[in-house]
Amino acid sequence: MAFLPLARGIAFGIIGFLIGGGLGAGIRALAGMEPAWSAEPVVALGYVVGLLGWLLGVGVWGAWAKEWFGLPVQESSATGWQRYFTFCLDHKVIGTQYLVTFVVILLLAGLASVLMRVELMAPGKTIMDANAYNTTMSLHGIMMVAVAVATLMGGAANFVLPIMIGADDVAYPRINALSYWIVPPVAVLLLATPLMGGIDSGWTAYPPLSVINAGGQLLFLLAFITFGLSSILGGMNFIATTVTLRAPGMTWGRLPIFVWAVFAAALISLTATQSVAAGLLMVVLDRVAGTSFFNSAEGGTALLYEHVFWFYSHPAVYIMILPGFGVALEVISHFSRKPLFAYKWVVGAFLVIVVMSFVVWAHHLYTSGMDSRLHLPFMVATELISIPTGVVFLAALGTIWMGRLWLATPMLFALGFVANFLVGGITGIFLADVPTDIQLQDSYFVVAHFHYTIMGGEVFAIMAALYYWFPKVTGRMYNETLGKVHFWWMFIFFNLTFIPLFWAGIHGMNRRVADYPATFADVNMVASIASFLLAASFLVMVYNLAVSWFRGPAAAANPWRARTLEWQTSSPPPLHNFPHEPEVVGHPYDYGVPGSVHALIGVAGASNGEGEEERHPHPNPLPSRERGEQRGRGKRTR
Amino acid sequence: MWIALAVAGEALVVQWDLFPLAAAEEAHIVDDAFRLLMVLAVPVFAFGLALLVYSALRFRRVGESAEDGPPIRSNGLVVGAWLAVTTGLTAVMIVHPGMTGLADLRHRFSQAPDLVVQVEGGQWYWKATYPEYGVTTFNEMVLPVGQRVRFEITSKDVLHAFWIPAFRMKIDAVPGMITTISAKPDILGSLETDAGFRLQCAELCGLGHSVMEAPVRVVTADQFKAWVTQKQVASR
Repeated sequence: MAFLPLARGIAFGIIGFLIGGGLGAGIRALAGMEPAWSAEPVVALGYVVGLLGWLLGVGVWGAWAKEWFGLPVQESSATGWQRYFTFCLDHKVIGTQYLVTFVVILLLAGLASVLMRVELMAPGKTIMDANAYNTTMSLHGIMMVAVAVATLMGGAANFVLPIMIGADDVAYPRINALSYWIVPPVAVLLLATPLMGGIDSGWTAYPPLSVINAGGQLLFLLAFITFGLSSILGGMNFIATTVTLRAPGMTWGRLPIFVWAVFAAALISLTATQSVAAGLLMVVLDRVAGTSFFNSAEGGTALLYEHVFWFYSHPAVYIMILPGFGVALEVISHFSRKPLFAYKWVVGAFLVIVVMSFVVWAHHLYTSGMDSRLHLPFMVATELISIPTGVVFLAALGTIWMGRLWLATPMLFALGFVANFLVGGITGIFLADVPTDIQLQDSYFVVAHFHYTIMGGEVFAIMAALYYWFPKVTGRMYNETLGKVHFWWMFIFFNLTFIPLFWAGIHGMNRRVADYPATFADVNMVASIASFLLAASFLVMVYNLAVSWFRGPAAAANPWRARTLEWQTSSPPPLHNFPHEPEVVGHPYDYGVPGSVHALIGVAGASNGEGEEERHPHPNPLPSRERGEQRGRGKRTR
Repeated sequence: MWIALAVAGEALVVQWDLFPLAAAEEAHIVDDAFRLLMVLAVPVFAFGLALLVYSALRFRRVGESAEDGPPIRSNGLVVGAWLAVTTGLTAVMIVHPGMTGLADLRHRFSQAPDLVVQVEGGQWYWKATYPEYGVTTFNEMVLPVGQRVRFEITSKDVLHAFWIPAFRMKIDAVPGMITTISAKPDILGSLETDAGFRLQCAELCGLGHSVMEAPVRVVTADQFKAWVTQKQVASR
């Protein structure tokens, strides 16, 4: 029974695919095109109708669309683990679905990178031919981009953002479920690309190559567009939720910094993603409908795509990194037991980054052949964005200064984030500067740089988030020793993998190659061996989290003694998060401020034995035994 | 700790020969800009790292103390100083090496070339045409030392990128467009002497991308003339 919605989704999806595909073939037959059963148009139309069928079958029909026809809708009645396989509307279930799905995708994409590093251990062919390498590299790229975009936004933010602002769910629960259930077809399409000849154009899919290469490219484009749709819906939902569902007293100036970060990223996600979807759609049309947006022989231009693509994809790196900033600063404040330093400046910096992220895209195009008069303004804009980014470092360093640092696993990952992102940010300057970028563009220097920002930054932040909120999500505690082992193992081998690649790039190794001149043999061998050990560090995490989820000790409601609202309810939280609507009366980070209170709230289920209905403030939320002690010190005020 | 790290880092930047062989005038502009950015970046990196490591060690909580830190929400002086320094550094970088380097390169690119080479990239070859001499080569490029060469680059099919690492020069080959870049090779060399003397595709162009490279030889004016004559004879 648990898998009935999935089975229905798959069946409807297949039926839809056949209808759409038949329609495509029919149109071609009527138009006199030979052959009618041409693979790409049939697959493209089949996919569109198949996607609708899948969504209707998996739950959109039963829980939503029926009411358009005056029929009664029924929500999923599943409970326990079965909820995770249904069109469930609870944001915590959806957040968990996202988290698990994208951790699995992270591991798959990591496996792809191991295969790439095996191929790159020595010059010449090692295990893969050029097509296998390009397909592996492209899949690694797009899957990691999806992980970086969706794990914190779709996963962590979905779970904790509504609780942090004292809401009982997101603004649009059905759209929230929809945005998750759009994702499985994306994964299926991407993993099916090798069946249609693979993809050899990377995650950027520049035409004309992406118009003329094998059919796997079409699946990639459809997957990317679909994922973009999910991202737009998610962004819209977080904006609406943050604007409308804040608990009484949760003013904008009292929002936890993670909420601000997600809100800022959601603004970009809602507005920029449509641009890339349009660009990708033009490539699809060039492939299946014979248009010529990017075909220079018929008046199109390949350069157009690069502008459209990066107009989204540069802001997109801030969709990835802003929530990373949010997690790191959130964790750093709670684990330093100090107010977040320069909170208002950080919020301002986030908003400046949102605006500026839209005017720096052409720094990806210094060597593209675009008009050279564009070099200067984009160089200036790109270098200016380092000022608001610097404010984030100020906040992190200012917060730990004179703090009471608790170096638990989430804090280690947050500090690791700061160290790695420092390298990523500084090396970005070399790519923002036009003269140096002319040499470094499309070299391994770029590869090393963006792995420092996205892997060393974003993925470290994802790890901080996973360990930090693990007790809240699962109600269990992970093994702290294994968590620390994971951090040090990952931190050391991450750096050993990517520092050598800066050198390779400076010395002229171009990126996205299955083969390279013999002079780069040693540096690649070092990077490969380090990367295998880096990959192995994730096994520690998988073991730790998987075993702890089932057998770990029960987690307290607030194991970190953090002040924000998600820790003032049980672990895991009840269906609507709080027994009573919380009332926010103070700042979330006022550690050390005598008598300060963040929120007044009814005690939730696992409130450590205190009265269920008693309303009482949490001045400095502690597990109950310590709370009693504190009450004795007279710190609590109402 | 910051000063020690910064001094050690700066010494490394000055002493360590970080760059591969530079074989054109433009290459020195790029390397000088890189070195200058390193000089600016090292103290910034050292400051961040020193503060992070020092704080993590110095302010580490010992035991299970539940004590809070001092409630410092912000500090106008620190924020002001931080913004002033980061803005100042950014302004410096924008002007120099940014604007100055850009102006320098543009000036050189606008100089009249001594030699024009038309380059066409295709899946997967480099074709070079020397229009003054009526010579065309495939996957081979020979250039005279000390002469300014303008490359006029296009593509037959998909995006490629023209890159000679020893010259530090790179630009995409775009179908339907001619992109130009210019370089003045200043030392003799070939792929046998240094891996930087190769014309390497730097924009993913499909299956043959990693092997889309051609050896580059920088020769004396006399050798170049002899090579041109030999090619002209051979094509007749």
